[in-house]
This record gives sequence, C-alpha cells and structure tokens, in this order.
Amino acid sequence: MNLLYALFVDPWVQMGQAPDLLVQTLWEGLVSGVLYALIALGFVLIFKASGVFNFAQGIMVVFAALTLVGFYEMGVPAFLALALAVGVMFLLAVTVERVVLRPLVNQPDIILFMATFGITYVLIGLGELIFGGNPKRMITEQLYLPKGAVEFKILGGFVSLQKIDIAAAIIAAIMIAVLAFFFQKTRIGRALRAVADSHKAALSVGISLNQIWAIVWFTAGIVALVTGIMWGARSEVSFALQVIALKALPVLILGGFTSVPGAIVGGLIIGIGEKLGEFYWGPLVGGGIESWLAYFIALAFLLFRPQGLFGEKIIERI
Amino acid sequence: MRAPGSDKGVAAGDVLLAVDNVSLNFGGVKAITDVSFDIRKGEIRAIIGPNGAGKTSMLNVINGFYHPQQGRITYRGETRQKMRPYVAASQGISRTFQNVALFKGMSTLDNIMAGRTLKMRGSFFWQLFRHGPAMREEIEHRKVVEEIIDFLEIQAIRKTPVGKLPYGLQKRVELGRALAMEPDLLLLDEPMAGMNLEEKEDMSRFIIDVNNQYGTTIALIEHDIGVVMDLSDRIVVLEYGRKIADGTPDQVKSDQTVIDAYLGVPH
Ligand SMILES: Nc1ncnc2c1ncn2[C@@H]1O[C@H](COP(=O)(O)OP(=O)(O)OP(=O)(O)O)[C@@H](O)[C@H]1O
Ligand SMILES: [Mg+2]
Repeated sequence: MNLLYALFVDPWVQMGQAPDLLVQTLWEGLVSGVLYALIALGFVLIFKASGVFNFAQGIMVVFAALTLVGFYEMGVPAFLALALAVGVMFLLAVTVERVVLRPLVNQPDIILFMATFGITYVLIGLGELIFGGNPKRMITEQLYLPKGAVEFKILGGFVSLQKIDIAAAIIAAIMIAVLAFFFQKTRIGRALRAVADSHKAALSVGISLNQIWAIVWFTAGIVALVTGIMWGARSEVSFALQVIALKALPVLILGGFTSVPGAIVGGLIIGIGEKLGEFYWGPLVGGGIESWLAYFIALAFLLFRPQGLFGEKIIERI
Repeated sequence: MRAPGSDKGVAAGDVLLAVDNVSLNFGGVKAITDVSFDIRKGEIRAIIGPNGAGKTSMLNVINGFYHPQQGRITYRGETRQKMRPYVAASQGISRTFQNVALFKGMSTLDNIMAGRTLKMRGSFFWQLFRHGPAMREEIEHRKVVEEIIDFLEIQAIRKTPVGKLPYGLQKRVELGRALAMEPDLLLLDEPMAGMNLEEKEDMSRFIIDVNNQYGTTIALIEHDIGVVMDLSDRIVVLEYGRKIADGTPDQVKSDQTVIDAYLGVPH
C-alpha cells in the first residue's frame, strides 16, 4: 500500500506542492532533450540516406569537439579553430564516403554497420594521437557563448536557467529550422529525400549517390560538432562523452530511424521524461535510474504505438 | 512525319544506340547471351519476350545499372564496355521501372521536379536564400514541370504524396519524371502492366505523343502484344537471354521461331 502510494500518488503531490521545482525539472529535461534530439538527428540523416546505422555518431560528437578545443590549445584563434573543425568534419565525410561507403556499396547492411565500428576506433585513435587523451575544457567564453544563470521568480519560488542552456536550445532550434528548410526547399534537399526513398530511381535521374552520401555525412558531422560544443560546455570534452550516443538509441526507438520530426519530438520526450523520473521517482528505486529509464520510456511507449511516434502503420502486403 | 527532335549530331533514322554481342550473367544465371541490336533516332523500338527472357536486364545494361561481362554499348557514336547511371542520365537516357520506383514520400510535383536535377545548376549558396539566380531557375523549371503535368493530365494530383496514388497514376507520374529529363532516349519497362483498358489507352496515347511531338526515341518493353504491334516501328524478340527475331511488327508476327517460342504460347 505504502509502495503504491509512493509510486503513483506522492510524486504528483510533490509536483503540486513545489511547482517551481517542477518547472526547473522540466526545463532541465528540455535542455537534455534538445541535445538527445540532435544526436538522434545525426543518426537519422545517415540512416535515411544510406541505410547505414552509424555506430560512430557518438564518437563523431567527441571527435568534433576535441578537434575544436585541440586546435585552440595549439594556439589557433577560437573562431578559426571552429572553421577548422568544420573543415575536418568535411574531410571526414569525404573520406568515409570514398574509403568506406563506396567500396562497400551493395554489401549487406550488417557489413556497413560493422564498418562504422571501424570508423569509431579510427576516430578514437586519431583523436588521442593528435590531441591527447586528457579531458579538455570547452572553449565556451572564447566562442562568446554566455555564462552564468538567470533566475525567474515564478509560482511562489524561483527557477534558475543556465544561460548556456538557453543558448543551446536556441541554437538547436535554429539548426533544425535550417535543416528542415534545406531538405524541403533546395535542389540538394530534394535529391537527399529522393535518395532516401529509392536509390535506383535517384540514380536514374542522375543524382550521384556518392555526392549525396558525402553531403549527409558532412551534415551529420556539423550536427555532431554543435552537439559536442553544447554538451562539452556542460561537462568536459573527453571520450567519456560518447556514451551520450546510448541516449540516442531510445530516442530512435521512440521516434523511428527515418523520421526527423520523430528524432526531435522523441528527444524531447526522453529528455523530459528522464529528468522527471530521476527527480520524482529516482529516490524510490535508489538511484541509477538514469541509465535505463530512457529505454523504459521508449519501450512503454511502443506498447501503445508500435509504429513509433510518426511512423505509418506498416501493413505487410501478402 | 516525325519532328526532328533536339539534335546532337544524330539525325532522325540514324543509329542512336547499339548494343553489340552483349552477354550478362549473375553467377550461373545467364540473363543475356550475345545479343546485338540497335535503336534508331526517332523510332519506337519494342523489346518483347517471355518472362525471364532478359528484357529488363537489357534496359539495365543500357542505363548502366548492370555491367555486362561481354560486349559493347555504342551511344551517340561513343562506344563503351559499360554505361554508368550518371553518364546515361546526363547524356539523355531516362527510364521508368517495371515495378514503379518513385520517391514515395514526395509529391507528384517534387517527383517530376527531381527529374530536372541534372538541368539545374544554380549555386547552393543562392538556393539557401531562395534568391537571385536560384529562385529564377526554380521558377523556370517549375514551368517545364507544369507543362508535363498538363500533358499527362495529372493536375489534380500535383500535391499528393505519390505513395498514396493508385498504381496506374503512379506509372503516369513515373513517366512524367522521365520526361522531365527531356530525354533523347526513353526506356519504358512495361509501362502498362497492371492497368485497365482505359488506362492502357491513355498511356499508349502519351507514348505516341511523346514520340511524335518531341521526336523522343523510345525503347519499350511490353507484354501486351496488341499494344506492341500498334505502337512500335521495330521489335526485338528475346527468349532465354538470346535474340530470336528482330524486325518490323509484320516481319516478327510471321516469324516462325517467334510464333513457336512466344506468340503461339498462351500465358
Ligand atoms: N540482379 C539480379 N540478380 C540475379 N539474377 C537476376 C538479376 N536480374 C535479373 N536476373 C535474372 O536474369 C534473368 C532475366 O531477368 P529479367 O528481369 O531481365 O527478365 P525479363 O525479361 O524482364 O522478365 P519479366 O517479363 O518477368 O520482367 C532471370 O532469370 C532473372 O532471374
Ligand atoms: Mg522485366
């Protein structure tokens, strides 16, 4: 009886009693949700265009951030380092297309998936070799990202928002808007969607798959760089960061592997759900909840909507 | 009389494409064995034969999806061991597919617009801002696409995601996409399969009109013998990957091998 009360009633009572805390929790959930969404977005872009599940996405986040900070530490001015990091992500995209995707085209998906393991370890090795294995501090101020917090008095209490989190949310929103526009309205965006729908039809109208793959990997690289900056600013830049890729998996389960809106909404649901669970239900199960709660949310959701958030019902033709 | 067509060194009646001694196999399966034939500028050239005869494989060889183990492909006077899809597309070969390959998530308009890919050269920078040359270009290409939509009488489904369309209309959209490339050589793989009589008549009319009005050379795979005899200037007959006959509809109709192998057998 007591347990049921603690599970199903008490959390809501707490939320009602301290609404400011609830808002604080929701905000923090939203911010991590945005970052989860970005990581999932990187996965979705690559999966849609090439059918490859990119195991290296998490490492790309670290590698991009590491490149940025690494160049800065070598004495390159911050914004030049940023430009160089973008350049490195471009080189990475072209190399992956040339060395991995092109030779392996028409191989079974599992082979390509395995190849992304290879990419992961090459990136780890390369990152450590060039920039060293020690954790680094993100160059937040040098990039003119805001520091400190703003506090709001609301609901009889107050809520404190980190300025960097606000910036992260805004930048993520802008980036998603730009990507959406790019996909919907430009010739290359149309070509990208075409490739996602049918490789052979795309080829028949003269779309170059190689070019599209390079563009998609570059785009995913840019998304990784932005994610790396934002995430790195909240903790530090190290290879430990790659575990955030694990957070993308439940987002993908929820939102579907091929849906951009799914990645975004899924990311927010997981982010917010996780923080609420951690804060209100976490003490009941004695901590450690954040490592599995996201999966729990995703699976629970799937029970009610097996096709995922935005997926269409798949009815097999027989 | 046929319209002369947009010419690139090949006059009406000249050989536009020739395959010579082409053989293609998949492991042990011989899809095509030593087949040669040509397609002349401005004609409707049918490729017929029973199921598995290698007709689709032949189209795939022509537009570079398959690379034959033996033989040569000569297109517009240039001889190659194999085509590549990009080269084929950029040199004016466009096609439709036996099992409809559309961009299912995109509208009719966007699907046909995708056929303009190679004609659009606007810089990426301007595209992002929907401004200047890119905008002008987009408008210009939209005009061509709208003409094709009018021609195929599919105004009503311009904005419909093609995945939602009935099969017959999907085939029509696919033809539209191929036409948007303003092809010199149009490869049609069973454009009327699965259609009812009325739809078949419409499709036949479109094919004839494309051929007449734009002088587009057409290679046509079709199982409906009546349609083939009506539409085509010349017919290649394949069986088990080999060419067994080649000639005008009348010649092919009276060819004893063809009658034995194909026309005589009900299926
Ligand atoms: N990608 C492939 N891999 C293996 N075998 C193939 C492939 N494509 C075609 N074949 C084989 O080649 C032969 C010819 O097939 P093709 O599709 O060209 O025939 P078709 O004349 O188009 O037949 P249909 O009238 O049924 O469309 C068949 O035996 C087929 O199984
Ligand atoms: Mg076929």
